[in-house]
Amino acid sequence: MKGGSRVVVQPHRHDGVFVAKGKEDALCTKNMVPGEAVYGEKRVSVQNEDGSKVEYRVWNPFRSKLAAAILGGVDNIWIAPGTRVLYLGAASGTTVSHVSDIVGPTGVVYAVEFSHRSGRDLVNMAKKRTNVIPIIEDARHPARYRMLVGMVDVIFSDVAQPDQARILALNASYFLKNGGHFVISIKANCIDSTVPAEAVFAQEVKKLQAEQFKPSEQVTLEPFERDHACVVGGYRMPKKQKV
Amino acid sequence: MSSLRNAIPRRTHKERAQPQERKKFGLLEKHKDYVLRARAFHQKEDTLRRLREKAASRNPDEFYFKMVNTRMVDGIHRPKSEANEYTPEELMLMKTQDIGYVLQKLQSEKKKIERLNSALHTLDHQPENKHVFYAEDREEAKEIQSKQFEKRDSLASVKVPGRIKKKQLHLTENWKQGKKGFKTWKSTTRIWPCKENCRNLGESVNLVKMKLFNRQLDLCINGVQNASVRLYSSSTLI
Repeated sequence: MKGGSRVVVQPHRHDGVFVAKGKEDALCTKNMVPGEAVYGEKRVSVQNEDGSKVEYRVWNPFRSKLAAAILGGVDNIWIAPGTRVLYLGAASGTTVSHVSDIVGPTGVVYAVEFSHRSGRDLVNMAKKRTNVIPIIEDARHPARYRMLVGMVDVIFSDVAQPDQARILALNASYFLKNGGHFVISIKANCIDSTVPAEAVFAQEVKKLQAEQFKPSEQVTLEPFERDHACVVGGYRMPKKQKV
Repeated sequence: MSSLRNAIPRRTHKERAQPQERKKFGLLEKHKDYVLRARAFHQKEDTLRRLREKAASRNPDEFYFKMVNTRMVDGIHRPKSEANEYTPEELMLMKTQDIGYVLQKLQSEKKKIERLNSALHTLDHQPENKHVFYAEDREEAKEIQSKQFEKRDSLASVKVPGRIKKKQLHLTENWKQGKKGFKTWKSTTRIWPCKENCRNLGESVNLVKMKLFNRQLDLCINGVQNASVRLYSSSTLI
């Protein structure tokens, strides 16, 4: 973003996410490693009153489903400073870097990716970020990395596999605390390209409900991705007391 | 003297037209047409004569480059084709280079589009996506609904300038008087959290939306299969 001095950064509704208001508004996160861009994204440097500089990285919603969901007006992402996040389907770590920005030094992100090629980028990114733990393993077999991952508060899943609900359930049964939350991104084409997207989403939600998940909301990622939805909810939520 | 003579108007010379009985031969040729034709004829005659002279005085021992650079094709001298100068390998290389250039341009354009897109967050627009809430029972659905409306309400009251609100106030009151007996109206006012705030555009618009929403909610609850109630709040409603 050009004209750094004219950009004002305001906190977003979600903790740890910011909005840079310059010529164009942009979603951004506070850079944990100032002076470094992970995937060539723009950076915004803002000077505080006391002269200290804070750097923010612009978060591209076209590359990140989480950013697209936030811009889509999701009520709660459950990822906030200090949370422990299990990230399934980390790919090259573009979104993971932003999640690591959000959780900050007190939180931790376990990033699981199966592909070695994108895993390489992920590991390189994790070298500079102390709160990211890269795991190059198949998310279908959480037992293989159970020694590396502790209990987590949130699972973010972006695996784009037909059995992604099962993968999420398997990982949740190992690592997600009771009353924890999940955020799953669903690509309708990856699950069933013959039925309309809405039906696929409903079907996936049904599957999740059968696995002790309690979905609370669903947003489609419309201007940024086609036929994608993001479902947010809780896991093994405590029963509500009848009044 | 001659200028004086020129000043006197003279009878213009007229050439005769083709006589009626010779019409079938077309237009009669005039003198200036003949001049053009004759000049062209003599030019050709001269060219032929010059070429003949050249051929007659040609030195058979002299070397001309055209002897090497041209060849006879069907009795006509043709310059050697230039396309034959490249070997198939060279041609292949040139083609791949062309394709490479096109692909490179394509890639750079794509990158440019992506770079521009990445700054396009459209934060100040209402999202055009669909937001679905899942509620266990009617109470929870109502709770979510009111929460959503509070949120939208706070947004609306910020955005609408006061002078528009004033005009809308009139409309709302008229509408209230006119449709007092409307059935769903009562239910909406009952749910509405702060009645005294019902005096600006944000609310008046929201009330209409709320009414729609309630109707939708009723439909959803009636047509529900399990315990979960799906509430739709898409852009058409909000």
